[in-house]
Amino acid sequence: MRRVVTLFGKEAKALFTSPIAYVVVATFLLIMGYAFTARLFISQRASLIPDFFQAAVLLLLIVPVITMRLFAEERRSGTFELLLTSPVREIEVVLAKYLASLSVVVIMIALTLPYAVVLTTYGEPDMGPIYTGYLGLLLLGSALVALGLLISALTANQIVAATLALGLFLLMWMLDTLGAFLPAPFDYLILHLSLLAHFTPFASGAVYLADIGFFLTVVLFGLALSMRALVRR
Amino acid sequence: MCRGRNAPAVFPEAHTISTPVVVTEHLTKDYGPFRAVHDVSFEVGAGEVLGLLGPNGSGKTTILRILTGYLQPSGGTARIAGFDVVEQSLEARRHIGYVPEDVPLYGNMTVDEFLAFMGRIKGLYGSPLREAIDSSIEKLSLQPMRRRAIRKLSRGYRQRVAIAQALLNKPELLILDEPSNGLDPRQIIELRELIRWLAESHTVLVTSHILGEIERVASRVAVLLQGRLLAVESLDQLGHPRLRLRVRASTAEPVQTIIESAPGVVRVVSAASGEDGTHRFVVEIAEGSAAENIAAALTMGGVGLLEMTETRVDLENLFLDLTGGAAA
Repeated sequence: MRRVVTLFGKEAKALFTSPIAYVVVATFLLIMGYAFTARLFISQRASLIPDFFQAAVLLLLIVPVITMRLFAEERRSGTFELLLTSPVREIEVVLAKYLASLSVVVIMIALTLPYAVVLTTYGEPDMGPIYTGYLGLLLLGSALVALGLLISALTANQIVAATLALGLFLLMWMLDTLGAFLPAPFDYLILHLSLLAHFTPFASGAVYLADIGFFLTVVLFGLALSMRALVRR
Repeated sequence: MCRGRNAPAVFPEAHTISTPVVVTEHLTKDYGPFRAVHDVSFEVGAGEVLGLLGPNGSGKTTILRILTGYLQPSGGTARIAGFDVVEQSLEARRHIGYVPEDVPLYGNMTVDEFLAFMGRIKGLYGSPLREAIDSSIEKLSLQPMRRRAIRKLSRGYRQRVAIAQALLNKPELLILDEPSNGLDPRQIIELRELIRWLAESHTVLVTSHILGEIERVASRVAVLLQGRLLAVESLDQLGHPRLRLRVRASTAEPVQTIIESAPGVVRVVSAASGEDGTHRFVVEIAEGSAAENIAAALTMGGVGLLEMTETRVDLENLFLDLTGGAAA
């Protein structure tokens, strides 16, 4: 565990001493803040539901930028060899990189909390969808970071890692669109792989164990396969 | 470069392998259809400096990467301090201090931060960590650079930082991959001195494609070519002079028997047949008169002696002998 903390510190420092984390968070907040303000003045409704969907789509675009360098950068500079020939377990390396990237996503999401504060101060929003919406964003962010990490572990090129992650995320987001046209049981399978289908209940105030289970399964799948990618060299 | 060192100038006695720190048996590594390492078996005894010598692409780095757990072998086994590098990889890695080729370091860290990070992931915390860092810094004379960002250091200092991190957990085995790459002549001399000094308290496995480098620091040398181990020779046993012979005969075997029976011949190191009915031999001899004895024995046996040259016995010649003159 102490090694994970040490490795996490190294990863977090690399993220927060470079402009990456700040540029990513600032861009996210600029777009979110603009849309939140515009929507609030136009619709005059105390609801964050549209903002959660917008945040989710921004996560699809931004997470690949955070995760693309995780392994690719170390592979390029050769420090990967130094790290993995030290007495560390692959799971420790994977967990540290995962948690450091997730921390950027969590900070990003946490910095939108003032929107909820504004709504509760000047209006009477339904708090249920706000709580579940944030839970949904956190789960979606966790799953996306795990998949981004896996793709980064499979390629030495940052651009390739980012492009593949972006493609996978967008495809998984809208997978259910054409799912209904497929014959059974494929329609069922495709629908249940859709990020949008699993995220929608959270954003609108409903929590289903199946949706939580889906996102946690994706996290475990991403971490386990990342570890396997490191072990089988 | 280092303080408090009394580097031995030469390795005075022939090295006998004590408890082996490194044991590889039939080690093989394939990259797809390409076999980078073929059936390599060798041992490195405690306190020994073994040089892995071979041209670029001969499999040296691949072998080191297998030993350090970075790559998995396709076949065969390797053990470090008794621990299998695949089955007990973590334990094996605890006994290794590794300096990879091109000394990859985290450039955004200062020397102190980097050593603290590497120490912690090697399991050192608190005062043992501080002591280990101070000791490594002192051994490598890195005091003036402690707070400097690694990306701003010269190649020579980066090399020292890489060696300093390898020493942190007092490893039994130090592995240095092409340590003289990119250093200027003065730094290379300092590095040699450093390796000799480190060898006083560690088992060292060092690679190079430069023959002279290995010769100056190693007690034994393992020669690799195209992934195959050609020979493991003790440098101390290379004191015998050698003769290169070229003879004309229908077959090589009877000629080799004649040469071996000549007084003063230690052994036939290598034999190669040419297409023009000539055969080349490299013969290790014990005394100067062996040359005359061989010449007389060949003449008596009716073998045409075309050429006989005495060669200086050094690694260059050894390498040429073993590779048939093709690889050096």
